[in-house]
Amino acid sequence: MTAEEPRPGPAAPLPDAGGTQAAAHPATAHPATAHPATAQPPGPTDGEWLRVHPASPFIRGWVALAAIAFFFGRDVFERSLQGGPVFEEELAGRASWLLAGGGAVLLVSVLGFLLTWYFTKYQVSGGYVRVNTGFLFRQQRQARLDRVQAIDIVQPLLARIFGLAELKFEVADAGESAVRLAYLKIDDARQLRATILARAAGVAVDPAHPEQPLPEAPEYQVLSVLPQRLVGSLLLSEQSFFVVAGGLASVVLAAATDSQAFYLYLIPAGLGLAASYWGLFNKGYNFTAAISPDGIRLRYGLLDTQAQTLPPGRIQALKVTQPPLWRPLGWYRMQVNVAGYGVVENAGEGSARTTLLPVGTLADVMAMLALVLPDPGTPQPAVVFGAGLNGLDSDGGFVTTPRRARWLAPLGWRRNGFAATNTALLLRSGRWWRQLVVVPHQRTQSIALHQGPLARRFRVADLVLHTTPGPVVPRLAQAAAEVALSLFDEQSARARLARKRQTTEQWLRQVVPDAPAAGTGPVAGPLESPTPLENLSTLETPAPQQQEGGQHG
Amino acid sequence: MHTEAIDPPGITWQRVSPKYVTVRMVQWALANLATVLVLSLPLVLVLAGVWAWPPLWLAATVPAVALVAALWRLALIPRQVRAIGYAERDDDLLIRTGIFFQRTMAVPYGRMQYVDIGVGPVERGLGLCTLKLHTASPGTNAQIPGLPAAEGARLREQLAARGEARLAGL
Repeated sequence: MTAEEPRPGPAAPLPDAGGTQAAAHPATAHPATAHPATAQPPGPTDGEWLRVHPASPFIRGWVALAAIAFFFGRDVFERSLQGGPVFEEELAGRASWLLAGGGAVLLVSVLGFLLTWYFTKYQVSGGYVRVNTGFLFRQQRQARLDRVQAIDIVQPLLARIFGLAELKFEVADAGESAVRLAYLKIDDARQLRATILARAAGVAVDPAHPEQPLPEAPEYQVLSVLPQRLVGSLLLSEQSFFVVAGGLASVVLAAATDSQAFYLYLIPAGLGLAASYWGLFNKGYNFTAAISPDGIRLRYGLLDTQAQTLPPGRIQALKVTQPPLWRPLGWYRMQVNVAGYGVVENAGEGSARTTLLPVGTLADVMAMLALVLPDPGTPQPAVVFGAGLNGLDSDGGFVTTPRRARWLAPLGWRRNGFAATNTALLLRSGRWWRQLVVVPHQRTQSIALHQGPLARRFRVADLVLHTTPGPVVPRLAQAAAEVALSLFDEQSARARLARKRQTTEQWLRQVVPDAPAAGTGPVAGPLESPTPLENLSTLETPAPQQQEGGQHG
Repeated sequence: MHTEAIDPPGITWQRVSPKYVTVRMVQWALANLATVLVLSLPLVLVLAGVWAWPPLWLAATVPAVALVAALWRLALIPRQVRAIGYAERDDDLLIRTGIFFQRTMAVPYGRMQYVDIGVGPVERGLGLCTLKLHTASPGTNAQIPGLPAAEGARLREQLAARGEARLAGL
């Protein structure tokens, strides 16, 4: 069970008998419950219980196996190189015991792997995905398909060599992945992803052929990041700035003190940096974004590849940033908050997962914005969002910090500001480290106004929007108190309206709100119309002169 | 309680129980008296001649400053407690706190994931409780301390019912 409480929905069929049985006896799992497929009658919507690929425990545990092999092998190898006997004289008598012991350890670990594999089963049926794991401490977990926040297919290098992949199914508890299936054959993983997404979207299963695999939704590539641009973005990143500064400081110190020792300190620092750059390059390599009816697809990775699918409406907040060194090149970075990804647990994997665009031009940013926010909620999206990225003062309808509070933010006061479209709130900040935060109205959790003594003196206040954990922290700094107060009320009202429009989490069944041609009601059925693409054209071509036009110096 | 600049106009705030001052004072005593005592240790040791360093003025100043700060915080407690307010609106719950650093928060009923009621030992003695609201965002640090137990239970039921009626996804 996950943290999600099952909520009775109109389109959610009840769990089948086998699944209920498995979930009802989590602690006293009898071996028989491990085979519910044999116990349950074959129903039309029942998926069968499947196992992950038999090789997967070895791929997961290859480090342990490699360590055993390494410690056994190193000794033997060194001795044979030295021309000596394979075992020392006093050990030679006990060699058989040692071998037996080593063999036993190996056997036990292999047996453990096999048992783990045997008792790991999964099933997709009746609106749920269920996974049973463990043979001493059994765990039976089920997650509602329509609560999916993201699905990732991850291929570490070793798994990739064997044509295997790990599937991660995220729900909104911000902890570990709700369901991790490691490893499946890559085709099976894709098929499973397609099945889960189709069921989650509310595609009706053909009752005549329930076992017929659901086709994968078609996708259209939107953009890709060239390797040279990725390298350039890394070289010009914030990190490089500090590297250069640190290097210069070392050289100056070394020259000033006539000491060579500083160069020695540079070696581990250089190694660490190389590893960090390599990690970013490895993660960002060959980044492509595509759109499908199931949501946004992101693919990236050089050695370890990852394919993320973010279903529509799962992006809680979005941030576009531009470090100062990227400005001459017109590059931007986009990061998102997704409920399932949670806080960044380790910098490498986590930050890659929450990156929507590692580096891109204004056109790329606009294209991605169009995917995330198919309805920009304004007749002039290029102007409004362009002003959010590059503008100052009241360009594009932004309301900024009042002049009276300019001493609180001497640099940023002309840029700190907000603009609200019909669908999202845009928060702009940073004169040098430019940042634009976009929060869709229906994703706002709660709102708070903050005011400290200094801010009260200048009659300004901060407005904070609360969203799920992630890299984006939406905060409007130093807005005029009366403006902040009215925004507080308006934003509450807008969020309330947006929540009312959002009827179900099965995105193909959502009632299309206030669209003129929306007399259709629930859109259930085939996946042939890529609806988000229809709105792409409105945002796709931002006027290039808008890019720098808003700057007044 | 008068309405501050960042409070929405026309709200009648519900106040928390004045007995909550006692709870805060106990918390204050536990935190601050211990700090002052620990900081006074060098002074005692210097006066007793056990320690040569630090100089007497330093040994005396540090606990004195800590004591003054602690007394200042103590003096603020009643006003801080008076500044806590909440109001049930049609679609959201408003919570305000603070005098110097004010915060006004709106938590929509439909966004609440669950509601907690916590009772500490001092609160239990005074018949109070603390109500916490949780949304999908950890930034929603919404709690109403110092509610009378009956009011806390009523509010919890009320919030649960309204949350049910306006339930939205994430």
